[in-house]
Amino acid sequence: MSDPAKPTETLRALISRGVTHVVGLPDSISGPLFHEAVRHPSLRLITVTREGEAFALATGLWMGGASPLVVIQNTGLLESGDAMRGTALRIGAPIPILVTGRGYTKMRTAGVAPEGPLSRALLTRADVDTTAVFTERTLEAWGVPFRLCEGDDDPAEILLEVIDAAREHDHPTALIVARALT
Amino acid sequence: MLTMAQLLEPLRRHRTDQVVVTTMSAARPWGRISDHPLDFASIDSAMGHGADLSLGIALARPERKVICLNGDGSMLMTLGTLATVVGSGAANLILVVCDNGRFEITGNQPVAASGRVDHSGLAEAAGFRTVFRFDEPHEYAGALPTVLAASGPTFVHALMKPGREGPISRSSSEDAPYLRLSLADAARSVRGALLGRLPL
Repeated sequence: MSDPAKPTETLRALISRGVTHVVGLPDSISGPLFHEAVRHPSLRLITVTREGEAFALATGLWMGGASPLVVIQNTGLLESGDAMRGTALRIGAPIPILVTGRGYTKMRTAGVAPEGPLSRALLTRADVDTTAVFTERTLEAWGVPFRLCEGDDDPAEILLEVIDAAREHDHPTALIVARALT
Repeated sequence: MLTMAQLLEPLRRHRTDQVVVTTMSAARPWGRISDHPLDFASIDSAMGHGADLSLGIALARPERKVICLNGDGSMLMTLGTLATVVGSGAANLILVVCDNGRFEITGNQPVAASGRVDHSGLAEAAGFRTVFRFDEPHEYAGALPTVLAASGPTFVHALMKPGREGPISRSSSEDAPYLRLSLADAARSVRGALLGRLPL
């Protein structure tokens, strides 16, 4: 758990861009951000029961004048297809999405490229978590621009760029984080 | 059992400055009797997510009540939303489930467990502060001012007669004015009204 007296860089990024609500479901990567968001006086944390809810809820927040951020794992992203299509994408709502990337380490260790062919052999491999295999190609199929953050990349810095891009283009825009948040 | 007209006409009379979000078989009938800047049809949108979207508006505008006219089939698609509503503490959301036991606009096929799901019981179990159940038109019409004034989140289970609404589109041929806009333009129109950029 993060130190409550020392806001993380990710939280600072959200505050600096006027994000008002964090909407989503936590995992081990985003957990510290949820702990911080629930305590922060200028942020409101809305925990949903299923990730698809988050896109409709965030779109409603935007319609009401708020500035939400959706935070979900990539498994939940895959669950969210029609909800994202029919709300944030269809309405053209400038919603940034922080997608934590389950399976990226296994995918890299196995030497699998996310853009490679989807053979039965790949999709049934025990040493590959196919959540990562499907994440980027799913975002591409849905027309959601995204940035990938792994290794030494700075998630807070890229998150700022993603928030700005969502607002500039009036379009949901994603950041896939396949490392710890700072 | 209520007809859609028996549900909507009293609401039109008592509605003041609330946001009204409609879905499925309520969308077109509401748009025929109401043309308000804060009407929004969750049509050409996401299956079953009208209540989530309504919750988002309610959380962004806590000073204003938001009424969601949801279908029972739509509600069953996202039952988890009941917990999300309660967890969010949105005191200004009024979630109405129009329970006709049918997928009316696709031809009145029965929903799963049609007539056996107690939606008001689900809402009570989820922790809604105020729950109403109506199957008699006069009782509903008489109680509506109390429903609208209640401290929420509020859930209304309206037992409905199946109607005959057909498939709904967003096009210039729709007789409900708010269905002539694209979903994106309709959302921006409501947003503009809520932010004071359009007259209410």
